[in-house]
Amino acid sequence: MTTTEEAPATAEAAHDGEIGRDRRRKEDRRLITGRTRWTDNIAPPGTLHLAMVRSPYAHANISGIDTRAAAQSPNVVAVLTGADLADTQGVLANAWPITPDQVAPEHKPIAVDRVAFAGEIVAVVVARSAATAADAAELVDVDYDPLPAALDLRAAADATPENGGAIAHPGLGTNNSARWIFDSGEAGTGGNVEDAIAAARTDGIVIEREYRQQRLIPAFMEPRSVVVDPTGEQITMWSATQIPHITRFLLAATTGVPESKIRVIAPDVGGGFGGKLQTTPEEWTAFAVARRLGKPVKYTETRSESLLAAHHGRDQWQKLTLAARADGTVTGLKVELLADLGAYVALVGGGVPVLGAFMYNAIYKFPAYRFDCRTVLTNKTWTDAYRGAGRPEATFAIERLMDELAVELGRDPLEVRRQNWITHDEFPFTTVAGLTYDSGDYESATAQAVDAFGYEDLRAEQARRRTEGDPVQLGIGISTFTEMCGLAPSRVLGSLDYGAGGWEHAEIRMLPTGKVEVVTGSSAHGQGHETAFSQIVADRLGVPFEDVEVLHGDTQVAPRGLDTYGSRSLTVGGEALALAADKVVAKAKPWAAHLLEASADDVEFAHGKFTVAGTSEAKTIQEIALAAFAAHDYPEGIEPSIDAEVTFDPVNFSFPHGTHLCAVEVDTETGAVRLRKYVCVDDVGTVINPLIVAGQVHGGLAQGIAQALWEEAVYDDAGTLLTGTLADYLVPSAADLISFDTAIRSTPATSNSLGAKGVGEAGTIASTPAVVNAVVDALRPYGVHDVEMPCTPARVWRAIQDGSAS
Amino acid sequence: MELTHEFTVPADVATTFAAFSRVESMAECFPGAEVTSVDGDAFTGSVKIKLGPIALTFNGEGEFTEKELAADGSSGRMVLSAKGKDRRGNGTAGAEAVVVLAPGGDAADGPTTDVEVTTDLQIGGKVASMGRGLVQEVSDKMLGRFTDCLEKKLT
Repeated sequence: MTTTEEAPATAEAAHDGEIGRDRRRKEDRRLITGRTRWTDNIAPPGTLHLAMVRSPYAHANISGIDTRAAAQSPNVVAVLTGADLADTQGVLANAWPITPDQVAPEHKPIAVDRVAFAGEIVAVVVARSAATAADAAELVDVDYDPLPAALDLRAAADATPENGGAIAHPGLGTNNSARWIFDSGEAGTGGNVEDAIAAARTDGIVIEREYRQQRLIPAFMEPRSVVVDPTGEQITMWSATQIPHITRFLLAATTGVPESKIRVIAPDVGGGFGGKLQTTPEEWTAFAVARRLGKPVKYTETRSESLLAAHHGRDQWQKLTLAARADGTVTGLKVELLADLGAYVALVGGGVPVLGAFMYNAIYKFPAYRFDCRTVLTNKTWTDAYRGAGRPEATFAIERLMDELAVELGRDPLEVRRQNWITHDEFPFTTVAGLTYDSGDYESATAQAVDAFGYEDLRAEQARRRTEGDPVQLGIGISTFTEMCGLAPSRVLGSLDYGAGGWEHAEIRMLPTGKVEVVTGSSAHGQGHETAFSQIVADRLGVPFEDVEVLHGDTQVAPRGLDTYGSRSLTVGGEALALAADKVVAKAKPWAAHLLEASADDVEFAHGKFTVAGTSEAKTIQEIALAAFAAHDYPEGIEPSIDAEVTFDPVNFSFPHGTHLCAVEVDTETGAVRLRKYVCVDDVGTVINPLIVAGQVHGGLAQGIAQALWEEAVYDDAGTLLTGTLADYLVPSAADLISFDTAIRSTPATSNSLGAKGVGEAGTIASTPAVVNAVVDALRPYGVHDVEMPCTPARVWRAIQDGSAS
Repeated sequence: MELTHEFTVPADVATTFAAFSRVESMAECFPGAEVTSVDGDAFTGSVKIKLGPIALTFNGEGEFTEKELAADGSSGRMVLSAKGKDRRGNGTAGAEAVVVLAPGGDAADGPTTDVEVTTDLQIGGKVASMGRGLVQEVSDKMLGRFTDCLEKKLT
């Protein structure tokens, strides 16, 4: 069930039809039926097909590659190794070196003399069909000399050549890539956390915990696919990517092909969740092979290859120390973090924990904070952004700790949160991590969630089951989250050493027939931008929704853009469009005044029409578009066009928040966890399309709950991925979940004219701690204080046995 | 992963030890195995294995790194190391098998030897990723056929 409750953000929104309207997504018919442009559907004439030969070893020297049998197979055109493409394959860039002295191995698309994870490409087979290429790839005979593999994150962090620990890249002499610290005392945003902890040890409460954020796989629906056609004036790449613009820039920067000679197209893309926020070895290999052979090539990964070699997410160890006064007021938090990069520092992989650094204080106003993170190289698949990227880890840590603090105090966890959170009259609020939260209302969202959940009744049922010794215990979990999204103010990114800006570009073309072409640099990979962006433009220009066409995802059509990630599309890309629409109106106004023979000062614009006060004269903006096309009669000194472009650089992040309440039933005899009830109230600012927002929340919840209960990428002790199929990596289906009770509140953001906040990651960020808090809450009477994720029946049962024993 | 198999053969320890030491005769008993060359304690060969849907042919090499028979024939021990890779790139395998021979109870028709084989098996690639759950079961079956064959040879 989804209920939507929203206060109109602005006076205009109150009478305009498009903002806040439940429009069904106009792109869904073609996406769902598959009658559309998935990359794998694209086949330029004469396309050759690629298959990758991948290392079965986590770490090995390559002592020889015999390609003869493969090369001699019928219909095989070429077999190429890293050495064959040495001069042209380029390198895969790390766009976010988080410290100046970050240690990072060079990452060649095809390994040349050493492989550093199981799944790394060692050769590529080019054939006339995909099946022939796959068969021939099995004939490539590679000799490996295995090397010790660094696999365990904590062991890898401590390994040195002297102590004999395995080093993921022996030439680097260490697995430690970078250390990044934020300290509120040093930054001037708060006090010294060690003082706070020392004081709490004397006459307060200190909670110390270690939590593991297991390794996850983004598991997008459409496997990655790339087509490269080098036969035109430009080399054209179609790729199932979230980032066509960044890909084009980095192809040019790393291969020496001029940027103007490269066109990158992200056609329809079937999901990403951050997993397609990457420049990949497969793309770079296809680009190099197409250039070498002068023919179009295509590579589409299998599902198993996708699980094995597309970047993974999370994989952190958190050591946490929370200090509080005896009355429950939190006084400080210290975070010591290890983050597993995998074998290479991915596009923004090193920066993922840094994105979390600003969110451990969450909605609370404690005065001292320190975040100390080490990023570590291992011989596993590289890690990078996955839905939430850094912020789910932070939210999990603080929300688990708030529950632990409540237990220590013997108080209700909601009450302890209420005591510590920022109240609605304190916004804008500058946090101990240095961010300024522009808006929020934690009290109202929580009150609404508590009411919808039936909190008191469920607590009563829990008490009854405990008293009766029911083998099935009830647990209630709370997560009152906020997050920073809408990446990002360019200056802030610059101060964090990120390699690009955070602006977004938009263009509106007013066609003579009255139709409107909208160009955005934020291209969708399934989130419904075409619909939501059409609504924004239709609303601002007062034109019919059906008259707006959204163009995106092609560097030739939408030449400027910074793509889609970090819940930025609406708050940055959508705002750019809204501002471009305002510019169109401003440019059209002198035309309207001229045609209506009035002074521009007397002309008003509303609902798509320019009117002159006190008369019935009017010109629609679509009429003016035709007039501008003809350009027969217009004022002196202006250009004959009302089209507009805007590059918008946000002034702040966006801070959605919400309260999530979860009830689970835990069978203490089997360890099985069953979801009983899930209620969430999310405040995402102005809602453009409630249906899309609900979809984002539902999908986000599914992924966050999956981290809590089911999903985990598991490696064996030789570095082989054991969860290499969807039979082993447990992505939930609808049957595993329950009907969510979701509601939306709208405290408008003040950092954009739409009043919108991001929603793409909110559900994933909020739900994981709500579920784990519920599982642990159910088991408190058994002496259980934690269950490592995912909370499988085996782990839950073991926790009960260990807890009961102690 | 570690696999342990125990069985009893109808021969004394010295006879059993001798039989185990002859690579060719062992290979005849091992399902799907073929020895292509023998040089002292080292040999090369191949093993065909079917793990569920995955058919594999491991080409590789092996060597007896230890061979000890007590002077009085009361016990024997040998260590066999082998490694190979699938001909079609579907996986790699390395194994170290420790074979311990001890006198078993005398049966009606003569002495017996208790054999304990402890194998430390390292598998990688697709076979490890997808066939791991089957390895124990398949190896049990193969060992069963191996010991049946051995029993016949030693009877």
